[in-house]
Amino acid sequence: MTTLTLAKSLNEGMRKAMEDDPKVLVMGEDVGKLGGVFRVTDGLQKDFGEERVIDTPLAESGIIGTAIGLALRGYRPVCEIQFDGFVFPAADQIITQLAKMPLRSLGALKLPVVVRIPCGGGIGAVEHHSESPEAYFTHTAGLRVVACSNPVDAYTMIQQAIRCDDPVVFFEPKRRYWEKAEVDTSAADGWLPFDRARIVRPGTDVTLLAYGPMVKTCLEAAAAAEEDGRSLEVVDLRSLNPLDAATVTDSVRRTGRCLVVHEAPVFGGFGAELAARITEECFYSLEAPVLRVGGPSTPYPPSRLEEHYLPDLDRVLDAVDRAFAF
Amino acid sequence: MTETLVPALDPAAGRPGLSRLADDDLELLLLIRHFELELLRLYGRGELNGTTHTCLGQEYVPVALRPLLGPADFVFSNHRGHGHYLARFGDAHGLLAEIMGREGAVCGGVGGSQHVHRDGYLSTGVQGESLPVAAGVALHLRRTGPGALACVYIGDGTWGEGAVYEALNLAALWRLPLLVVVENNGIAQSTPTASQMAGTVAGRAAAFGIAHRLVVSADVNEIRRELEPAVARVREGRPLVVEFVTHRLGPHSKGDDTRSPQAIRAAQENDWYGRYAHDHPEHFHRFDGPARARVRGVADEVAARPPSRWSPCA
Ligand SMILES: Cc1ncc(C[n+]2csc(CCOP(=O)(O)OP(=O)(O)O)c2C)c(N)n1
Ligand SMILES: [Mg+2]
Repeated sequence: MTTLTLAKSLNEGMRKAMEDDPKVLVMGEDVGKLGGVFRVTDGLQKDFGEERVIDTPLAESGIIGTAIGLALRGYRPVCEIQFDGFVFPAADQIITQLAKMPLRSLGALKLPVVVRIPCGGGIGAVEHHSESPEAYFTHTAGLRVVACSNPVDAYTMIQQAIRCDDPVVFFEPKRRYWEKAEVDTSAADGWLPFDRARIVRPGTDVTLLAYGPMVKTCLEAAAAAEEDGRSLEVVDLRSLNPLDAATVTDSVRRTGRCLVVHEAPVFGGFGAELAARITEECFYSLEAPVLRVGGPSTPYPPSRLEEHYLPDLDRVLDAVDRAFAF
Repeated sequence: MTETLVPALDPAAGRPGLSRLADDDLELLLLIRHFELELLRLYGRGELNGTTHTCLGQEYVPVALRPLLGPADFVFSNHRGHGHYLARFGDAHGLLAEIMGREGAVCGGVGGSQHVHRDGYLSTGVQGESLPVAAGVALHLRRTGPGALACVYIGDGTWGEGAVYEALNLAALWRLPLLVVVENNGIAQSTPTASQMAGTVAGRAAAFGIAHRLVVSADVNEIRRELEPAVARVREGRPLVVEFVTHRLGPHSKGDDTRSPQAIRAAQENDWYGRYAHDHPEHFHRFDGPARARVRGVADEVAARPPSRWSPCA
């Protein structure tokens, strides 16, 4: 066991993947010498060389496009998008090529590309450094979309994403990069498959569904609710697409109430899919409608207002009250 | 098509001498300089959070262009845009209030350092995005306001983005009054230009049949004189790329400088601020202290204001 931050866990996971498989490459803006703006790729270029850790020009579309080409020739590129808001110049390559080529070729073409995106707010930054663009990608057939929430999962999930033959959009909760946990870096398997959700806190009254940065917020809410005699179950979805529907519906059938919590705007957000799905599959078990807690439909605000934008303990607990009031 | 403006050498100093500035130019240069330094100080004291990109070392670019641009012209700025804004509006209170989220902010405190909007002025922190938008504005200007132009500032690194080339093609094809101002400071974040750009900016402009001017000088008077006729031609629908060879004095944003001490020293040696102080000490000192004090006063005044408020547009 080693104490690692989430950022360092990702770094160690990538390092392990690169040691295990010479076809694994890292590419992106300032990922080499600088080690990435969040230092997630720190030291990798020094240890694996410039051929495997590639500093690219400022060209997101070019980064993903060349990663696709490299993947067609047997490589496993791990691309870093510097900040969430900069994935959009690459959206064309991700949506029309990366997602569709494997499906269009009926699986003959495999594109094991990982697109790493630091996501979400809470670091006092500007709009395009604080967004949560996951719904654009969950809506796109052919992409796996995952989000890690803690150092232990960061270490395993990044390796699983790299080993996976499908394209993976990998969201990293940037405001949790510096949180620490004990990580077992000796085991190489026996891990929970990365498309499975995990119940991170069992409970009986309400199911809280979260991923990425909001998992911690939900855990805090669950701890606070316990003092009021309410037992909240927190499910870390980990994978948004495919969705581990069995774990989700199982939980909701037991608790009868469900909240979905994410930073992204509620309107048209991933929570809408979850709410619809749960209503379809758990209708007769529900004591209350599935409630969503998320951002408003505005651009991400300037940093001094972000605490009003981001769901926090109070907003989650308010929603718990509403679920009970039904 | 490329013409280079090489500075006149000052044999005594062994490097180009800077000509004496008009008082208002010097004041503006110093306003921008001290504004940026003040921002860093405010960050250091925790009165601002998040990040900012200062234009330290590059202040003379928008100052030189200032009288070449008129009120009907549009300016598109980028992440390193405080100097662009101050050269256009001289409004340190509004900009600082915008960044600090105080009353009197240019756009309600909603845009912050990188997303400023004011008549004929727009900035964005997402690289390359504004070029096609500037081309669209230029198309409108060509049709409706003959003689006006759209000016867009970009860095060297931004030439990696595909949107730049779509816009250059449109500008050349449609004969747009588009002025692309490149602040080539030799680096993009941590990546030197040589590691991220094949060929040259000049070659890229040439590929589209677009005129290109290389400006090596940091002498405001000289730059202005040289660029005046070229900018006048832009107004007739002949797009132009002006590339300034400049130097980023500070880190990319705050504290993230990966350059070697020599590279940083070279940037410092090229800094117009120290050079002007050397070449024109009396003039420099007459304005430098007051400019610093003025900016400090702006900061104290703005910091004491209540938070900015806004209501959605009707
Ligand atoms: C589309 C996009 N990708 C990445 C970034 C992150 N980023 C901000 S500034 C910068 C470097 C820009 O370099 P350059 O164009 O040379 O301008 P400079 O910072 O040197 O003024 C990068 C990579 C961004 N703002 N936009
Ligand atoms: Mg640059």
